[in-house]
Amino acid sequence: MTADEHEDWREQAALFVLDALPPDERRQFEAHVAGCVECAAEVRSLAAVPTLLARAAPQIDPPQALRRRVMESVGGAPPHHAAAPAGSRLIGAVPWLAMAASLALTAGLGAYALQLRTRVGDLEARLSGALARAAAGDRLIADARKAAADAEFRVAVLAAPDLARIDLAGQPAAPQAAGRGYWSRSRGLMFTATNLPELPAGRTYQLWVLTAQTAPISNGWLVRPDANGRVAAIFETPVDLPRPTAMAVTIEPDGGVPAPTGAMYLVGRPAGS
Amino acid sequence: MWLLWAVIAGSVSPASLADDRGADRIALERIARGDHDGLAALYDRHARPVYSLAFRILQDQGEAEDIVQDVFAQAWRQAAQYDGSRGPVAAWLFTLTRSRAIDRLRARRVRPGHTADESRAANLVDPGLAPDLQALSAEQVGRLRVALESLPALQRAAIELAYYEGLTHVEIAARLEQPLGTIKTRIRLALGKLRDSLAGTI
Repeated sequence: MTADEHEDWREQAALFVLDALPPDERRQFEAHVAGCVECAAEVRSLAAVPTLLARAAPQIDPPQALRRRVMESVGGAPPHHAAAPAGSRLIGAVPWLAMAASLALTAGLGAYALQLRTRVGDLEARLSGALARAAAGDRLIADARKAAADAEFRVAVLAAPDLARIDLAGQPAAPQAAGRGYWSRSRGLMFTATNLPELPAGRTYQLWVLTAQTAPISNGWLVRPDANGRVAAIFETPVDLPRPTAMAVTIEPDGGVPAPTGAMYLVGRPAGS
Repeated sequence: MWLLWAVIAGSVSPASLADDRGADRIALERIARGDHDGLAALYDRHARPVYSLAFRILQDQGEAEDIVQDVFAQAWRQAAQYDGSRGPVAAWLFTLTRSRAIDRLRARRVRPGHTADESRAANLVDPGLAPDLQALSAEQVGRLRVALESLPALQRAAIELAYYEGLTHVEIAARLEQPLGTIKTRIRLALGKLRDSLAGTI
């Protein structure tokens, strides 16, 4: 048997002593321990622990009537000398009384505190599990809400009466790339693209709206393609944004820039213009 | 369970408890001869911790009383067969008690309507009551307390669920929402710590 296997048996020994093995594993362990000196020694060394756990239960006096009930259940007459209550054995041992009382209080409080702590520990363990599940649930709900809000946003843009569609064509830096922008002054901007090359580290694509009256506008409209070079993004637009005459995508340093500096990857004009 | 007793047969009684154990043996010998006073003596020595354990597991006074009655009735019937080399009488009584109480707890679990009256249970726990000084010295009680309290919460919870609620390792892992391997390791660690901190006192 390898050392690892024996380590498994030692774990089983602890579970066996604590009576925490299901019946089939218990039988397997019993068969093993019958022929294993080490595991028998392990079981022997742990055997007193359950007795300790029994003693650790908060101590309560049974009702007086129970003694009579027990004696009668075995056909015995109630004993002539009624049993002295547990504490009264100490009467007559006056010097011991104060110490015993003090020990009793300490030990009793300790046992009570232990019971409370154990309960708290158990509840804490359950609570942390519940909180983890709740947090995961919250994240799912937040993701679902965002997805729903995004979908709603897209529908709103596409249904806008002032919708303008702009097809963007790949430039020499990315001839295979293509994009499409949907713009509504009142409802926002939706942008999709395909075949955008993978970004080098520290770079981002940035979407620009060109108008007749202003310099290129990009309100922090950064776009990152997924692993397949696809983009599907939605952006709020300033209400005072003039009607676009063109849209473009450039490559820029991470975080974006106020005015385009990098190579142009996509560019296009509104359909029908 | 007989095998466990056979395995632990090598335990040696510390001298400090020899008198108590001697009194237990005498009580069992008297019971074996059909002497009711022997049972009364055994009851007076152990009813309190036995009742306390049953109550700790079942959290119900009436059911705990039933368990005590059953355990002492069984001791009455089986005293003649009791083999002193199996270990302390108290350990035997605790094993009977826990086993019967856990059986009731499991039966209760399949009857989901039943819930223990926890407020009553809490009120019945009197922190001022004396511990079983006769069987466990104050020093031992103190060491036991310290050892248990110093266990990390997960280890303590796992042990308590096994011993007081009768859950298997798989059920404990599910209840504490931990991997099974973690639970096995923690239980072994915790038992080892308790054993080490209490070495020689039991």
